[in-house]
Amino acid sequence: MASRAAVKTVIMVAAVALAAATGLAGAGARAADADAVRRGEYLFNAAGCLGCHTDEKGGGKPLAGGRALATPFGTFYPPNITPDPEHGIGRWSDADFIRAFREGRAPDGSYLYPAFPYPSYTRMTDRDLLDLKAYLFSREPVAAANRPHDLSMPFSWRFLLAGWQWLYFDTRGPRPDDPAKPPEWNRGRYVVDALGHCGECHTPRTTFGGMEADRYLAGNPKGPNGDKVPNITPQPRFGIGGWTPGDITLLLETGLTPEGDVVGNAMAEVVRNSTSKLTADDRAAVAAYLQSLPPIGPPP
Amino acid sequence: MDSRVVNALAAGSVAAFLYLGFGGLGAAATDGDPAALVKQREQTMKSMGGGLQTIAKFVKGEAGSAADVQAAVAAITEASSKDPAVVFPQGTAIGTADSDAKPELWQNWPKAVEYWNGLKPATAKLTEAANAGDRAQIAQALQGVSKACANCHEDFRQKKQ
Repeated sequence: MASRAAVKTVIMVAAVALAAATGLAGAGARAADADAVRRGEYLFNAAGCLGCHTDEKGGGKPLAGGRALATPFGTFYPPNITPDPEHGIGRWSDADFIRAFREGRAPDGSYLYPAFPYPSYTRMTDRDLLDLKAYLFSREPVAAANRPHDLSMPFSWRFLLAGWQWLYFDTRGPRPDDPAKPPEWNRGRYVVDALGHCGECHTPRTTFGGMEADRYLAGNPKGPNGDKVPNITPQPRFGIGGWTPGDITLLLETGLTPEGDVVGNAMAEVVRNSTSKLTADDRAAVAAYLQSLPPIGPPP
Repeated sequence: MDSRVVNALAAGSVAAFLYLGFGGLGAAATDGDPAALVKQREQTMKSMGGGLQTIAKFVKGEAGSAADVQAAVAAITEASSKDPAVVFPQGTAIGTADSDAKPELWQNWPKAVEYWNGLKPATAKLTEAANAGDRAQIAQALQGVSKACANCHEDFRQKKQ
């Protein structure tokens, strides 16, 4: 009998220990998740996801599908990216999520329109993408159906995007840090080129909507909604060559230009939702990187 | 002289002064010419922009003193105290002189007024910060005023570059 009691005790102790261990592991996993969500929120702001995927002015729910994006190719309606399994991305695996950003492909393999700026996001690291996914999956699911894009032919033929990607999409993914440059420069390049996708508006595009690589950030006469988007290379006369690093960081923080103007249109939204929420270090890194770029004047 | 006569004369001269003064000002300022009204708005905006520029320089540690900031805030306060209907009169949208104001501003007039009125509390905070002379507080209040400006610039301005 004594031995049976001893066995019982051992079993109970073992059970309690196991429960405690499992509980601790669970708590550890939750803490890791919470960290990923917190990092993901920063990336979400830096990458400016909210603006396009939410119909803010139309009173739409956050991330439940965006306002109309008018382009020369037709009107895009950015999809629902809440974790709703039916209408959102709730059924996307980690691999699906990474593939969309890295390769511009939907989970079913179909090509995504580059109105979703994956030519920039392709440079995001796997870890950042999964942190971003963790944040998006922590948001409220919204059962709102997506609105189909309204595109003119031949741009409505999605299979043609295979050719577009072949012509314009650099598939090398994240760039390794340049050891010859300071960490601030490397961080600035990541924030500008990958997360902030600044080039998507500030670089002119070809007839078929590819970015003109040799005029990177040199301004776009036909930007979103027909706006002229300025040259942000350090060209003294046509770009921001006369700006100090403080001029650049103050604009990113407040929207104020060195002339005392306050930026409007799409950039006002970028400042409100994105650059004002960056850390001061990241804003300084953006300034350092922009000032290191080759100055580009107007086209000949 | 009878005091009633004096009062009547005084009231009359004040009325005449007011009439001439205001009428004269109105006529001199714009004459109701839309191009002149656009110019007048640009002056109002330039006055605010000049003030913001001075404060930004102070915040960045580039130039200026607390007294300069106070003078700049006074200029911004004066400009932003104007009646929005005077700053944005009908008939001064894009197409009139070099106006940058979208027609949507008048189509959504209550929203435009709300944005304009948002300048007042933001400017009041800036005044408070300028009087305290604290750089960090001024920087924060400057961000508030910029946000108030950006509301309207985001929705209702089409910048020609």
